[in-house]
Amino acid sequence: MPALLEIRGLSAGLQGRRSVTQVVSNVDLDVQPGEILGVVGESGCGKSTLATAIMRLLVPPQVLQSGSMTLRLNEGSSYDLIKLSESELRELRWRHLSYIPQGSMNSLNPVLRVERQMTDTLIQHGLSDKEARSRSAAALELVNLEPKILYSYPHELSGGMRQRVIIAAAVSMHPTLIVADELTTALDVVTQRQILQELIGIRDELGATIILITHDMGVVAQIADRVAVMYAGKIAELGTVNGIFETPLHPYSQGLIGSIPRESGQRVEGLPGEAPSPWNYPTGCRFHPRCPKVFDHCRAQTPALQAQESDRWAACHLYDTEVAADV
Amino acid sequence: MSDLLVVENLRQIFGGRNQTVAVDDVSFRIPAEPTIVSLVGESGSGKSTIARIILGLLQPTAGRVLYDGADIATSGRKWNRKFRGEVQAVFQDPYSVYNPVYKAERVLKLVIRKFGLAKSKAEAQAMMEEALRAVDLRPEEVLDRHPHQLSGGQRQRLMLARVYLMRPRLIVADEPVSMIDAGMRASFLNILQDFRDSHGISTLFITHDLSTAMYLGGEIIVLYQGRIMEQGATQTVMNAPLHPYAQLLISSIPTPDPRRRWDEDLSAAPLAEIGYGARAGRDRCLFADRCPQVMDMCWGARPRLRRPKVDAVESAQRDVACYLYE
Repeated sequence: MPALLEIRGLSAGLQGRRSVTQVVSNVDLDVQPGEILGVVGESGCGKSTLATAIMRLLVPPQVLQSGSMTLRLNEGSSYDLIKLSESELRELRWRHLSYIPQGSMNSLNPVLRVERQMTDTLIQHGLSDKEARSRSAAALELVNLEPKILYSYPHELSGGMRQRVIIAAAVSMHPTLIVADELTTALDVVTQRQILQELIGIRDELGATIILITHDMGVVAQIADRVAVMYAGKIAELGTVNGIFETPLHPYSQGLIGSIPRESGQRVEGLPGEAPSPWNYPTGCRFHPRCPKVFDHCRAQTPALQAQESDRWAACHLYDTEVAADV
Repeated sequence: MSDLLVVENLRQIFGGRNQTVAVDDVSFRIPAEPTIVSLVGESGSGKSTIARIILGLLQPTAGRVLYDGADIATSGRKWNRKFRGEVQAVFQDPYSVYNPVYKAERVLKLVIRKFGLAKSKAEAQAMMEEALRAVDLRPEEVLDRHPHQLSGGQRQRLMLARVYLMRPRLIVADEPVSMIDAGMRASFLNILQDFRDSHGISTLFITHDLSTAMYLGGEIIVLYQGRIMEQGATQTVMNAPLHPYAQLLISSIPTPDPRRRWDEDLSAAPLAEIGYGARAGRDRCLFADRCPQVMDMCWGARPRLRRPKVDAVESAQRDVACYLYE
């Protein structure tokens, strides 16, 4: 099956006075139709920049440097998101591409009722008032909220309900691809579980594809089909959720999964060292200063993301047959 | 030997006309032997309020806190100074506790000077280096830096180094790992365990993240809307929670294992938030409106925290406030 979204060589950075500091470097990623793809990594690894780049919502000083992003829709049309104009993007957004930014539950306008905020976009996309209202009510039901919520003001709702309203608004046009950034970070565990289960329901009912950006390995393990592990602006490893959790290949993924606190009495060690910032990404493999398995080659050469076994890609010289033969 | 800390019938009510009961008759104790006690609950459960009362930052509406047998509210200045040295706080935000103008070493130097810990400059230097090593920081990487040059994990460990210098008997840590990266969390928690095992320092660990409480072990106290629902040995409570709220909370932890996923449906907890608030008063079990096993008596009076009877046998090691086990 061809990928729904095919990202090739995507780079994005921050425009300085003289040069651009690259934040996301040369990302290749295929998003399969109907999957939940978890993107994980430490803070500052470029997860959110990648998400905003996919949505073409980078704002200066953020700049898109290069790459292509092919979106294939089921009616047969395909678009390179990078080449589209603002007005073409406007048509695609909400109808096909939906974005739930980090902290968006606090972005509802406090002086407008939920109804107005949900139907506004729908009316913009050509629906009648009545259609927009019934669509909004239906979307609220998808996230287990009663339609009467439409007549509430945001301050009358709890955090979990506001987050649900945002999700409902994002899915009200039945989008093909939803990008959700730290969807449940500010919520307690019970609400988090309910919302994540609702998200799975949305995928199943609407056939949507979801990219879920998170730092929480537990959330990814619970709901993702595949996982992309990001480190310092690059994808370190990509694979199925079971594969990544059971046999992580990249030493960074191994460290990340090994440092999750589990049972009491079983001591785990944290990852030593600190993640680099975009202003001082190391040469060669960007993980080499922290890597327990580093060898000379890693300091000079940047490893490419290469297919390993089935459904697995890793960017590490340890699994690079040509390099391994040299050592 | 008396208990290190005793919290007795603590109540905290905020607001004038629209009163919010943040802490509702909470009692617990931290024994004299070194231990880690985790205080867990959702936001609004009153856990941070309790921490602030214990630290003496907030005067409770009713009830009292005894440290080493003495009431923290009525003891004198000299005693207060001892208390300030022996009870240390670590807060949630590792960014806002530092003065950005000063280098990191000032945080440690200030403590050494104010409490007269060292006799000479060389001794002070040696103390700082020892404290940093105790929290897995390299002195040369930290001392000469400004706070903005350190990562969240480094800053939070620097706070622990400061605490270590004081060799307190109790650390009150309010959500200390919620703002640091996953890779760093384990090492922070390991340090707390080392403090307990090698230096006899107890910790009151306040968190909404049950997986960190599970990792720390020791004792756990589960709060809901200002009341204790269940408390006991962490292992016992986490493996087989009795209170329906504790069951709901623990089953909702996202386990980092894709082979142990949540069941399809969340059996308990109908939409929690609808009708949130003290609609039916507080003279009842506060979890009654969400509880899947609610009975008539749950609406009548507040269930008291007591040893549960499971299959007519008294279960040791924990207390539950639920009519199901009476």
